[in-house]
Amino acid sequence: MTSLLRKIEPLLVHLAVLVALAFALYPILWVLSTALSAGGLGAHSGAIPRPHDVTLDNFRTVVGTDRVGGTALFGRQVLSSIVVSLATAVVGVVIATPAAYALARFRFVGARTGERALLATQMFPAVASAVPLYLILDALHLLDTRLGLVLVYASTAVPFAIFQLRGAFETIPVDLEEAAMVDGATRGQAFVRVVLPAARPAIAVTALFCFMSAWNEFILAATLLSRESAFTLPVVLQRYVGEHDAAWGPFAAGAILVSLPVMIFFYVAQRQLVSGLTAGGVKG
Amino acid sequence: MERLSEHEKRRAAERADEASPASAPKVAMRCEARGVHKAFGGTQVLRGVDLSVPDGGFAVLVGSSGCGKSTLLRSIAGLETVDAGSIHLAGRDVTRLAPRDRDIAMVFQSYALYPHLSVRDNLAFGLKLRGVARGEIEARVREVSQMLGLEALLDRLPKQLSGGQRQRVAMGRAIARRPTMFLFDEPLSNLDAALRAEVRVDIRRLHDRLHATTVYVTHDQVEAMTLADTLWVMNKGLVEQSGPPLEVYERPRTRFVATFLGSPAMNLLDAKLVRKGAGAWLAEGADLAVPLDAERFGSSLTEGREVTVGVRPHDLCVAQQGTTELGEIVVEVVEALGFESYVHGWARQAGPSIVMRLDTAAGSVRVGERVKLAAAPDKVHLFDRATGAALTS
Amino acid sequence: MRPRLWVLVLVALACALGLANTACEDITARTIVVWHAYRGDEERAIEELASRFEKAHPGTLVELLAVPFEAYPAKLEAAAPHGHGPDVFIDTHGRLGAYRREHVVAPTPPDVADPAQYDTIALDAVSEGGRLFAVPLSTKCVALYYDVDLLPEPPATLEDLVAAKLPEGTLPLAYEANSAYFHAALLSAFGGRLLDDHGAFAFDSDAGVRSLELVHELTAKHAIPAEPSGALVTQLFASKQAAAVIGGPWLRSDLGDKVRYRVAPLPKIARSGELMRPLLTVEGAMLTPHGATRPLAVDFVQFLGSKEAAIVLATVGHQVVARRDAWTDPALAGDPVLGAFHDAVRSSVPMSSSTRMQAAWVPANEAIEKALRGEDPRAALAEARRRFDDATKPPPPPSSPTPALVVLGLVLLAASIQIARRTRLADVKASLPAYRYTAHAVLVVLVLVVVPLLAGAATSLFAGSRDDMRYVGFANYVAILTARGGALLGHGSFYLTLLVTVLWTLLNVTLHVAIGVALGVLLSRPLLKLRAAYRALLVLPWAVPSYVTALAWKGMFHRQFGAVNALLGLVGVHPISWFSRFSTALTANVTTNVWLGFPFMMVVTIGALTSIPKEVLEAAEVDGATRWQRFWRVTLPLLRPALLPAVVLGGIWTFNMFNVVFLVSGGEPDGETDILVSEAYRWAFTRDAQYGYAAAYAVLIFGLLWLITRATRKWQGAGT
Repeated sequence: MTSLLRKIEPLLVHLAVLVALAFALYPILWVLSTALSAGGLGAHSGAIPRPHDVTLDNFRTVVGTDRVGGTALFGRQVLSSIVVSLATAVVGVVIATPAAYALARFRFVGARTGERALLATQMFPAVASAVPLYLILDALHLLDTRLGLVLVYASTAVPFAIFQLRGAFETIPVDLEEAAMVDGATRGQAFVRVVLPAARPAIAVTALFCFMSAWNEFILAATLLSRESAFTLPVVLQRYVGEHDAAWGPFAAGAILVSLPVMIFFYVAQRQLVSGLTAGGVKG
Repeated sequence: MERLSEHEKRRAAERADEASPASAPKVAMRCEARGVHKAFGGTQVLRGVDLSVPDGGFAVLVGSSGCGKSTLLRSIAGLETVDAGSIHLAGRDVTRLAPRDRDIAMVFQSYALYPHLSVRDNLAFGLKLRGVARGEIEARVREVSQMLGLEALLDRLPKQLSGGQRQRVAMGRAIARRPTMFLFDEPLSNLDAALRAEVRVDIRRLHDRLHATTVYVTHDQVEAMTLADTLWVMNKGLVEQSGPPLEVYERPRTRFVATFLGSPAMNLLDAKLVRKGAGAWLAEGADLAVPLDAERFGSSLTEGREVTVGVRPHDLCVAQQGTTELGEIVVEVVEALGFESYVHGWARQAGPSIVMRLDTAAGSVRVGERVKLAAAPDKVHLFDRATGAALTS
Repeated sequence: MRPRLWVLVLVALACALGLANTACEDITARTIVVWHAYRGDEERAIEELASRFEKAHPGTLVELLAVPFEAYPAKLEAAAPHGHGPDVFIDTHGRLGAYRREHVVAPTPPDVADPAQYDTIALDAVSEGGRLFAVPLSTKCVALYYDVDLLPEPPATLEDLVAAKLPEGTLPLAYEANSAYFHAALLSAFGGRLLDDHGAFAFDSDAGVRSLELVHELTAKHAIPAEPSGALVTQLFASKQAAAVIGGPWLRSDLGDKVRYRVAPLPKIARSGELMRPLLTVEGAMLTPHGATRPLAVDFVQFLGSKEAAIVLATVGHQVVARRDAWTDPALAGDPVLGAFHDAVRSSVPMSSSTRMQAAWVPANEAIEKALRGEDPRAALAEARRRFDDATKPPPPPSSPTPALVVLGLVLLAASIQIARRTRLADVKASLPAYRYTAHAVLVVLVLVVVPLLAGAATSLFAGSRDDMRYVGFANYVAILTARGGALLGHGSFYLTLLVTVLWTLLNVTLHVAIGVALGVLLSRPLLKLRAAYRALLVLPWAVPSYVTALAWKGMFHRQFGAVNALLGLVGVHPISWFSRFSTALTANVTTNVWLGFPFMMVVTIGALTSIPKEVLEAAEVDGATRWQRFWRVTLPLLRPALLPAVVLGGIWTFNMFNVVFLVSGGEPDGETDILVSEAYRWAFTRDAQYGYAAAYAVLIFGLLWLITRATRKWQGAGT
């Protein structure tokens, strides 16, 4: 009996994974088939996501080939999204990394309070802070600038990033830095030349999280940006949802385009993702 | 100091326990491996290994890293599958059986204690799994912890223990199971020298008390020599020689075995066989000229044969009246160890270093001195230069 | 490493430059900024008008910004009162009440619009207190589209339409019956209204009951589709599965020439003998306070209200323009559909622009949904009134902030003394090197996260709408914690929502962990082929933005056309109306959120598994453990320390997961699936801008989570 089980076991495992895969991919396929269908709706019926009247028109609409100067505009919006998200990742990591290092290595006054405060920021729903945030940005003359948006994104991503990175730094043995310092490096140099390279996977994952949170964010971008060429992709996407109706075809096409870069990145970097998340990342 | 009193406590407990039936062993079993082949990826790690351990025997697998000894051990345990060949325990072919069904216990190099369980739970883990009654579990845990001096540590977690203590818990876990066979995978390599020496003795004593068949893997030849009933020297996936330790030490069948055992290693020098007359042969090399006993080597002596002469530092002595001189060295380094010294020198400039053991009581030499070497004829070994096989009659 | 570092720095600089560029605002005296939320044809019309204005006024630049509809009011309300934002904006009159209050709109200067030139009904809509607040551009109301192949003549009454002879399987009528906006037309035929002139709830009248009874009948007779949506209605008409639909001018572009149709004003209802009068929304060109001071902007608004502009709006944008003399132009005469809508306007009723209207939609919609499901209309309407009154309750009277300030001062003083006593100077000195590393993080987080949060939290001590904020101490909290005087577990009560939120969180976290860990373990088996491919694919849900996911799943759970029911139908399960019961609506929400969240757990598990030493598992194997025993007794306990923080964090995120709950079930049925954070959102944005109240909710949510995490930490500490 058990040997029978053992023989079919790999099959069962494959089956379980395939079921999970079907679950994971089903809605994505629906969005894809809506994107490829003319007339938008309709693809929502039936059990199998099959596009009808297959067409690339929806993609053309999103990319702007059917409007004068549309492609150029879309190109600038893509660039806008990329710049904002990349900058968020860079700024987020640059801000979070030294702070995480300090929390992992130093004992200093205010460390525990700081940690608790960081955790607390994760728990506060943002609904209450939208207006004060706007006023602060106004005071800093950062309204309607991508820089302002980046700072806001980065600041919301920083607490989580600090936790991730702190855990990663804690798993790197202190011996490495001590060896560097004995070799003549200052603590700062040891940090940059020894610790950072060792924590690369975790840093990569943190950067990815920051990137993603900026890439997919809609409401802040829509509220804070006032130039169409500066709109990030989620804002462009939401333009297809009107008051009474929504152009689901272009919306779905846009959704695919917005998700694609992240999907590709996941595929390429999945091993780093896994090791980066472990490297103490989620240690208490 | 604390260690010492623990140690003595244990000795006392053991002596008291010796008569008790609680530690009566189960029926021991023989272990056999026949023609085991195993490859990892493209690399052939075991090339047809045969192993045989009698009931209650203590077999030590020894060799340098990569020789396949750990793989063989793991194959016996069932943690690796074999590509060809079979494993037999107590006469049963267990090649296809899962480890849990082979009734063996294993002590890992890294101890592999369950980090989330206390010492007590670590010891009891296997017993709980097999549904042993709670009372019995408690009794065994108590017994084992007394045996190994772990009573004070029962509620601690592995991370709160020292290396030596963890090692003992690992052994205790194995012992508590009362298996018919023990497997040890380099259990002492993570301990410091003093502890190693002490625990080594404890392992042997435990084996004698429990009469369990044991297969022990190590790369340390001191452990191998002191613990084994039978030594199995492995090299590149094959057993080069097996036998009682002293025999393997004194009558190595290959150059590898000869140099592996004994520290400092046996001196190896190139030479050629020269017939010096009827029944008189000489192994003549650039550094030494060794007269050979024709009877001992028989037909393997052929004119002009290229050989390697091997003689252990312990078997070399300063030539005196009546002993046959083999050669002369100029002393380069003297390592004084208290009761003995190792004298390193060379017979010719840029020639190989020759090591000689010198009893301090027998005198001393100075660097730069010229020393004449001699050795008893039966302590000289000859190996074929190409194959490394020992020359015999 | 060196050269790569420099490349990184350069890239960063380039990004920064790119960012800085947009900061330069080139507002010159000759530029007007115009905002709108148009798409498609309407957007083209505006663009055409902008370029015509620029040609007529050389040297002028009209900077148009198309804003997504959802973000439009928030964006305006954030920008305009502070002097940012547009000079001119185009919006519907319904928001005028709010805009006036928030100082987003300024009265239109006199002489800009000649009242005689515009439809009276449109002018009335954009005037308040005798003053004009916008130049009316277009009027929108719904009318009856009918398929001429199926109905050669427009029906005289609704009953005629329902009784018409139609091919098998064709619905007589399709419209968004569950929307109060559409239902208002039926309501008016019975003489009812949503709000009366004083802004009180008026739906719960006899007229209201009769109108609901009628709609229920229609649904029960299968004369109209169940669970309608705008997209569904369009699709039914386009595929000739419905003979007539009620829709607005916006439907035209989606229909194209798939169907031969005509448009007529809504018919009478024979039962009451009265016409159905749809709600009218008027879109107008409005000036912001600072725009009103700029002559160029005023000129543009005047231009937008001109006959020439109206013709463009009508011909390019297909809008039903409010300008009277435009209708005599031959260009418009050639568009019968437009003319039909113009006729329909005559029998329409302008929507109230009172801010209380905002608060009426949700209760009205909920009552209609109940009636559609067959519940007693009178009870449903009474409940709707109760909810409306509850939502529009006047804020508590202001109280004096003095006692709170005194207490706050004392607390701060005590805290500072405590801190001063506990910290030693030596410790602080020793901490200085660490501060070099943390300084900028502290600064950024403090300014951009902590201060807004604190300010937001402080708002919770105030009540009232934005221009009327008064300090009320803890009155908001008291109101929340006493369930606003209603039943402790009644609809919308804090405690009920809390229970739902806890249930929601527990279900999600359990499923996330179970599925994520199971998959993580399965995908870590070294013997599994295609492991890398599986992993990459299973992580995909993470890559899709959550609002896209939510909308996709919402569509999939549609009763009639959703994929889920289609799949279930394959195994013989009857179509489930997912959003009509709490259990099924919750299931839909949970399914969506689990889909979103399991990849994270899976990846964390895979990573954590790599840190379990192989030898420990081998030892367990040798000790006699089966695969399952090894997993349960060794792997899981060793995974726990790595998983726990992820679980806690995931739990917090789930607790506050707004997108899924709001977009998938929308709180349905009847607000039952709302969680605390979506309830807070409603208070802020759909119940007359009660920001203080919403902020109090946010603080309570925070407090709850804080307590829970402290409890978990204690449990975690005790466990290890």
